[in-house]
Amino acid sequence: MIYLVLIYTVIILFTVPDLVKRKLKKELAVFSVLCFIAFVLGLLYVLDVPIPSPMKGLHKLIVEKWGIRYPKQ
Amino acid sequence: MNVEKGKICSMQLFFLFAGFVQGSVLLVDFAIGISESQTWMVILIGLGLAIPFVLSYVALAKRFPGMNVVQINDAVYGRFLGKTLSLYYIFFFLMTLSFNIRDVGELYITFLMPDTSFIFLLVAFSATCAYAVSKGLEVLARISHLIALIGIFVPICTTILLIDQMDFSNFLPLFELPFARMLHGIHIMMAIPFCETLVFLMIMASLDKAEKAKKSILSGLLVGTVSLFIVAVRNTAVLGNTQTIWTSPSFQSTRLIDIGTVLTRMDFLIGIAQTFLIFFKCCLFLYASVTAIAQIFNLKTYIPLVLPVAGIEVILAATVFQSKVDHAEISQNAGIIYSAPLMFLIPPLTLLIAKLRNLPNKGGKNDS
Repeated sequence: MIYLVLIYTVIILFTVPDLVKRKLKKELAVFSVLCFIAFVLGLLYVLDVPIPSPMKGLHKLIVEKWGIRYPKQ
Repeated sequence: MNVEKGKICSMQLFFLFAGFVQGSVLLVDFAIGISESQTWMVILIGLGLAIPFVLSYVALAKRFPGMNVVQINDAVYGRFLGKTLSLYYIFFFLMTLSFNIRDVGELYITFLMPDTSFIFLLVAFSATCAYAVSKGLEVLARISHLIALIGIFVPICTTILLIDQMDFSNFLPLFELPFARMLHGIHIMMAIPFCETLVFLMIMASLDKAEKAKKSILSGLLVGTVSLFIVAVRNTAVLGNTQTIWTSPSFQSTRLIDIGTVLTRMDFLIGIAQTFLIFFKCCLFLYASVTAIAQIFNLKTYIPLVLPVAGIEVILAATVFQSKVDHAEISQNAGIIYSAPLMFLIPPLTLLIAKLRNLPNKGGKNDS
């Protein structure tokens, strides 16, 4: 948890002042959103909250629901 | 306006392509469980069938010089459908990147550093990739020849050292594989090492002379395939049918090297080579992901996005599969099926629509 906060503090301190100085508002907005998603995912992982896997969902949809798969060996 | 300002030459594209295909050498193991001793044949057929699709990617890049796939989609399909397709590409880049980062973690946990924390390995590896990508495409292109040389040098060396343990009767009987398994193996081979190269639709926009792309790409594809072919032949000749039961046949076969009890435990060579090769492949996927995201939002630079995307990828890589069995099962089925339209349908279709609509128009209206 401490490492997670530390890592993202360093990332923000290294990136944000430069973006503000160069007045790159759109870049700052996209960076903030991605950083927030990354931090929340990291936090959920650290707190042992199960994170749904997109591939598991796709596997269920394609293989189990639609039945598209290669025959079992 | 393209988000990447750097330029690469056709020779660098050749090494980038060869290194990228060689980066899938660990993933040949997915096909080994299905195609067994016929893996070498599956690689060659896969190459033959993948070449027209790879050429369609090159034709697309040549038709829209200086434009990456996000810009091409906008130009051909319009803003809404184009952006939707671009999101599909980004999803593919991000998922494939997470699989490859996980591959490195699993490689280290299983064979090299079993007591190290899995998440620490993923963080360290992703941070290194992020550092390389933040230096730009030109830097990656400048190191590509070293990566490609490692990718060809290590399989050749280990094969020579294993010649005395090879039994070529392990390849017999030929053509005994059922058609469905052969088809499955070919699909895996086409999708994973060969058609994943659609990531180059984000890179070929930076080529200084787009007309030379075809020669570089085909030569790179050939060199990469030679590496994969050598690895498949070596593993089958040394391990025979037992190759299907090992977690990593490449590690197992090189562990058997014993030259006068002096040259032993050469599996560290495989560890080093695969780390470099997958690192390179991950860098190209991370580069493609961040440039595509930056292009979709029309940003001036992609560099601020590198670290957050790498952070997302670490967690995706840690949670996308529960185990190695899960990894193999999903990659062999849903993994290759969901990406099939992206690899085999959309690029040729885009090319056809561009030809029918006579795009790009000389007025430059479609450079969105």
